[in-house]
Amino acid sequence: MVGGPGGRGAGAVGGPGVGVASAAARRHRLATPRGARVRADERDGRPLVVDGREVDAVRESWLVEDRWWSERPLRRRYWEVVTTCGRNVVVFHDLREGGWFRQR
Amino acid sequence: MVVCVLIPRFQLTVAVGDREELLGAPAALAPEPGREARVGEVSLAAEAFGVRAGMPLGEALARCPSLTLVPPDPAGVADAWERLLVRLESIGAAVEPERPGLACFEAQGLVRLHGGTLERVLAATRRVLRHPARLGAGPSRFCALAAATRARARRPQVVLGDERAARDYLASLPVALLRGRDETAALPEPLARLGIETLGAPAALPRADVADRFGSPGLLAWELAQGRDGRLRAREEPERLEEELELPEALSGAQLDRALGLLVDRLLARRERRGRTLRAVVLAATLVEGGTWREQVPFREALSDPLRMRLALAQRLALLPAPAERLRLAVVRFGPAATDQRSLLDEAAVARRARLREGVRQARAAAGPDAALRVLAVDPDSRVPERRAVLTPFE
Repeated sequence: MVGGPGGRGAGAVGGPGVGVASAAARRHRLATPRGARVRADERDGRPLVVDGREVDAVRESWLVEDRWWSERPLRRRYWEVVTTCGRNVVVFHDLREGGWFRQR
Repeated sequence: MVVCVLIPRFQLTVAVGDREELLGAPAALAPEPGREARVGEVSLAAEAFGVRAGMPLGEALARCPSLTLVPPDPAGVADAWERLLVRLESIGAAVEPERPGLACFEAQGLVRLHGGTLERVLAATRRVLRHPARLGAGPSRFCALAAATRARARRPQVVLGDERAARDYLASLPVALLRGRDETAALPEPLARLGIETLGAPAALPRADVADRFGSPGLLAWELAQGRDGRLRAREEPERLEEELELPEALSGAQLDRALGLLVDRLLARRERRGRTLRAVVLAATLVEGGTWREQVPFREALSDPLRMRLALAQRLALLPAPAERLRLAVVRFGPAATDQRSLLDEAAVARRARLREGVRQARAAAGPDAALRVLAVDPDSRVPERRAVLTPFE
């Protein structure tokens, strides 16, 4: 399971499921999702490798479901992991559109 | 017409005291304790070895191994300089002291007071000083300083005329004269590297070229070389209020703190204070090992509370380089009468906002409209991170 950086969600405003806006608005947004190369465990979806670095530990995982009442619902599985180089990374899997993203 | 009084090596002369033979040998003021290790004023004999004031101590000793280092006496220098200034003021001069050993005053108002000629004003000046000094007079302060550096001990040098006369006089003088002003002290070296030896050369350059190459110090130097200078700012009438404590034995540590408390209490009890707060004081000590130590302490706000004053002064007293045998506390500047009332308007905040706005304007002018943005919390509690905040124009 690999979500490319040029994926649909990463290119749009704020990434997947948020919609389209002008270049200026996109520039002024903070914490927008960026595409990530993730290899995940097929059984439970747990990330094993993030951007070429192996995951040492999973610190937390949570599900975000929002705007289910609208035409652009949002469904993400977040993972906060620690890679073998000691970096703390938050990635999520877009459960509707597919693809993996990093987010601060 | 501005008169300049120049006493070369004033600080060294005071520090040497009775040991005048030191002035005939290579000698320099030792660095003050806790300050950068650079020598202070140097004797003529030391200059012959290439030692200059402000030179790193190591370099000075390498150039002249027989150099005698004289312990600095900042408190003695301040006292002696104050006495000289008072004497100058006694002839009616409104004196602007530049640094110990260099002072200027406007002669125009004194001419009629002293017999109608500038020469008589200069003679009166020499008479009251009772100290070998070089006197110079000129249309501007810088011109008067240049004249004083070329004057002989008993023969003042006078540059008569206006701005043009000053420019002509300065044109053949070395650019090293710019060292006499703090703002332009660093300029002679780069000017010399460019082959500019005399003040006439920068004066002949276009003003904009000098500004581009040397910035504001260059502009000031250009103005000075043109024979122009700022107006004199005479010092305010000094009000001396000081307390001194002879210590029975060389004290340090907690005992010294108690002595400081006593001094503060005595100073605040003086009737001449008339209920006013103190804005800045000078703490001075005579050291057991010889020499003195002097530190000016401006308070963050004008004080009349002895406890807060002791807190501020005790920190400085901790810097004392050696045990003291005499301690002195003097008022430099008074504040308003004791009161805790604050101003109604927070003007500092207004000034700060104005500076910030100006900074934003400049940044936008240089880097476009997105140069200054601020974070606006849109939905800080949102579970979706990208919806919590956005960047918006600063104003």
